[in-house]
Amino acid sequence: MRNIIRLVIVLLVLCACEPVEPTRLTNTSGLLPDLSFQLIDENKQLVTQQDYRGQLVVLFFGFTHCSDVCPTAMHKLSSVMGKLATSAAGIKVLFVSVDPDRDSFSRLKRYTEIFGPNFVGLTMDKESIRQMSKRYRVTFGYGEANAEGAYDVSHSGAMFIFDRHGKARLLARPSSSIEDIFVDFQRLLAE
Amino acid sequence: MSIYLIPWIFSPVFVVSWLFVAALYAWLLIRKPSVVKKRYSLWRVLCFYLGWLSVYLVWHTYFDYLSQYMFWVHRLQHLVLHHISPLLLVMGLSGYTANMQPSLLVVWRFIPSIIHWPCGLFYSIVQHPVVAPLLFVGLIYFWLWPGIHFSAMLNQNLYYVMNASMLLDGFLFWWLILGPAWRGEPDGFRVRIIMLMVVLVPQQLLGAYLSLSGSVVYDVYEVCGRAWPINPLSDQVYGGIITWVPASMMSVVGFLLVLRRRLNYQQV
Repeated sequence: MRNIIRLVIVLLVLCACEPVEPTRLTNTSGLLPDLSFQLIDENKQLVTQQDYRGQLVVLFFGFTHCSDVCPTAMHKLSSVMGKLATSAAGIKVLFVSVDPDRDSFSRLKRYTEIFGPNFVGLTMDKESIRQMSKRYRVTFGYGEANAEGAYDVSHSGAMFIFDRHGKARLLARPSSSIEDIFVDFQRLLAE
Repeated sequence: MSIYLIPWIFSPVFVVSWLFVAALYAWLLIRKPSVVKKRYSLWRVLCFYLGWLSVYLVWHTYFDYLSQYMFWVHRLQHLVLHHISPLLLVMGLSGYTANMQPSLLVVWRFIPSIIHWPCGLFYSIVQHPVVAPLLFVGLIYFWLWPGIHFSAMLNQNLYYVMNASMLLDGFLFWWLILGPAWRGEPDGFRVRIIMLMVVLVPQQLLGAYLSLSGSVVYDVYEVCGRAWPINPLSDQVYGGIITWVPASMMSVVGFLLVLRRRLNYQQV
């Protein structure tokens, strides 16, 4: 019994030693890998993580036919950009399409333009996107097509936030508020 | 090879260690060929390899992918890793290791005390009749605690730690219930029945909570996406039912096996 008590005390001390960074969004430091990808942007240019070094990057996996999760997330981020005003120039939102069959370059470009200059659409073949999404522990799947050929897509609703060095730092959930995203962006921009 | 057999994330560590387990059991059989000839022993061999195969299927095939992106498949994976497979492995092992114990003890004596002592201490703590059932249900609650579950599903290493801890704990629990340390004595019988009852109720409560909850408890599946479009609450209800009904049934199976050993002991 004395040994059990000792073990519990050691575990409690170890837990107390772990430094916790105070953030409003979910802290992903050490949980997720650094930013790394090779995709084609809406201007048909091959881009990698190196093209966005020095900027805060928000990574989102979605599709332009989405009726709820994607537009809600994009509008939230667009509102945050508005609140950040000139500081928003240091942020890029990468909208990675998980529905390359329907999301053409031109469609992606039209879609991201709605939300502002910080938004960039990225795409590639399904296998490449699958490999990239696997890196961030997210997935996507397709439902049955109806008579018109429309189908539902299950996908991640998370916004993955990377710092200027491409390190995974935060994760905004679909339920995260504009205020929380704004406050944490300010903190990361001030670093 | 069928896409359903291709691992989502290839793990050489798992493949090597799991093949080693299969080879070790085969070696035990070769060393005691006389026991294999007995009819009941063939059932033990079948149990062991069925348990071994089921762990492989849920850990290192397309099933693992589904387990990471569907809550109900994740619950099914843990039902196999924590309840079904360890029970089958223990049933396959208990007959042989009873015969092997003297030679295993000789090997144990040669291990340096710096390894020997903490391992022995750890084993005696986790196999204590009060600690073992608490650990068994505690681990289910721990990994299903929303914040911890979120981190475990988001971080690959933590995900494998979670699965390995479930398999190891399941094995230790069933080893205590049905391992060779107990041959059917009355005192041990009472303790084992109480342990099985202690683990039953909290699992039912958790399963009922997940099934009957009106809101989504685990948003990590919305964060990471699901394998195919499904209503999040339906996913949770199915997962809750798996935590509730089949997991409880395994306690009943355990009870019947304990009762059988008790009756066999009295006949002897």
